[in-house]
Amino acid sequence: MTAPTTATRTRGREAAQALAAEMSKLVSLPATWLTLGGTLVVNLILAVAFTVAGLQGSTGTKSAVDIGLASISYAQAGFVILGVLTACSEYIGGQIRTTLTAMPRRALQFTAKHLALAIVVCPAAAITAASGVVLTAGVLGDTAAPVTSGRVVGALSGVTAYLALTALISAAVGALVRRTLAAVVVLLGYFFIVGPLLRDRTPAAKYLPDTAGFAMWFPVADDASAVTPAQGALLLTAWTVALIVFVVIGYRRWDM
Amino acid sequence: MRALAAEASKLASLPTVWIAMAAGVLVPSVIAAITASSTRSTITRGAATVAGADTGYQELAFGVVGAITLGVVAISSEYSTESAESGGGRQITTSLTAVPARLRFLLAKISAVAIAAAVLAIIASGTTMGVIHVVLGEHAPAMGADDVPRLAGVVCYWVYTALLAFGITVLTRHGVIPLAVLIANTSVVTVTYLLTKITPLANYLPDMAGVRMFIRRLADNTAEISPLTGGLVMTAWVAVLLVIAAVAFTRRDA
Repeated sequence: MTAPTTATRTRGREAAQALAAEMSKLVSLPATWLTLGGTLVVNLILAVAFTVAGLQGSTGTKSAVDIGLASISYAQAGFVILGVLTACSEYIGGQIRTTLTAMPRRALQFTAKHLALAIVVCPAAAITAASGVVLTAGVLGDTAAPVTSGRVVGALSGVTAYLALTALISAAVGALVRRTLAAVVVLLGYFFIVGPLLRDRTPAAKYLPDTAGFAMWFPVADDASAVTPAQGALLLTAWTVALIVFVVIGYRRWDM
Repeated sequence: MRALAAEASKLASLPTVWIAMAAGVLVPSVIAAITASSTRSTITRGAATVAGADTGYQELAFGVVGAITLGVVAISSEYSTESAESGGGRQITTSLTAVPARLRFLLAKISAVAIAAAVLAIIASGTTMGVIHVVLGEHAPAMGADDVPRLAGVVCYWVYTALLAFGITVLTRHGVIPLAVLIANTSVVTVTYLLTKITPLANYLPDMAGVRMFIRRLADNTAEISPLTGGLVMTAWVAVLLVIAAVAFTRRDA
């Protein structure tokens, strides 16, 4: 008679299954698609508004990339909301208990959730940003100032990375706060009010996540002390990783 | 009166309301402290002689984020569904059982929001102006009889914005969208401000008209609207929205 063998899965298989579970949860949430679709539509409407303003000459630039991406500073609200919803939907109605019963390794589950979010957000951000630029270029037509394809690719990849990292930061804050509205107030209050105000008033603000992230794609004045796009990307990534690590440590130690 | 007391008690027990209160007081006063200290160094260097007339008021226009949050959560909390193990109910059904007259319920809620927003605005104005006077010292713009209607304008603007947020949320029954739209529109360069670049009519949108009650000089804006006209335009917007909200609320299913 042989002893019953317990089937164990390898760490790699466990991680793959966790990622598949988190992907399934994220794409089956209607709010995900409503948020992404709404953000795309709002971004296109704002891009039209900026283009009309650009045709009247009040934006100070004729570059289709700069005008087409100007609306992103508002459309980022959609990505903040998506990040918060991803994290906080677990806490509506106690889904978190089921989640942690199925995936007791909290750090793995948390990482899988953020990875799934990044997988969904990256293409969505690229489509949102590119559609705004294409629309603006189409409307401006021949009146647009010429831009090099390198600048277009650089700006679009910068925007995509910025929006994805912003969504990850929002998910981490959402996991920390656990209440959708409170997290949305804190994050939007920072990204739309406190961040821009500090940017105008204190030089040290250029190291904060939103301003450093803006350097990745927003044309800044030529200034020796300004943050370059690469430095901005590095700073924003560092902020994101630091925040996620901080939240993971708390997530493992606290009650759910 | 008891309905009002009940609504006030509900507001005071919402954690998000306290976040709103903290944001409403801290955002304008901390930003005012940073602005005032940089103004102070400009003055001591001799580059400027006096602080601008809008010192403090500019910051109070951003602090309205507290009033927005207050107005939104006051009603969105009624509609949030509880977890399945606590019955999956919504507070609105309990509220309407206790106060079956819908208009009376809505009026009590509107009054509670208006009172809370007014109190928040008074505290925020007091701390913001106090911070500016402490930091700037003798360089601070003198407070005179002229400032009384302007500070009243701040309170008015905050109360109206809270009611605007409240009215929109009554219609959407969910807080995230109104919160996102309204906070995004409180940004340094607001969407409504961009619209004034396209059409001058946008100067009569509620927030653009409302800030005229206390801001004297808007950057790059030539439209002249007196504080009184601005206040009346915003009153009209709020009144229309609240009437629509009341009609919808009394006629539809809870």
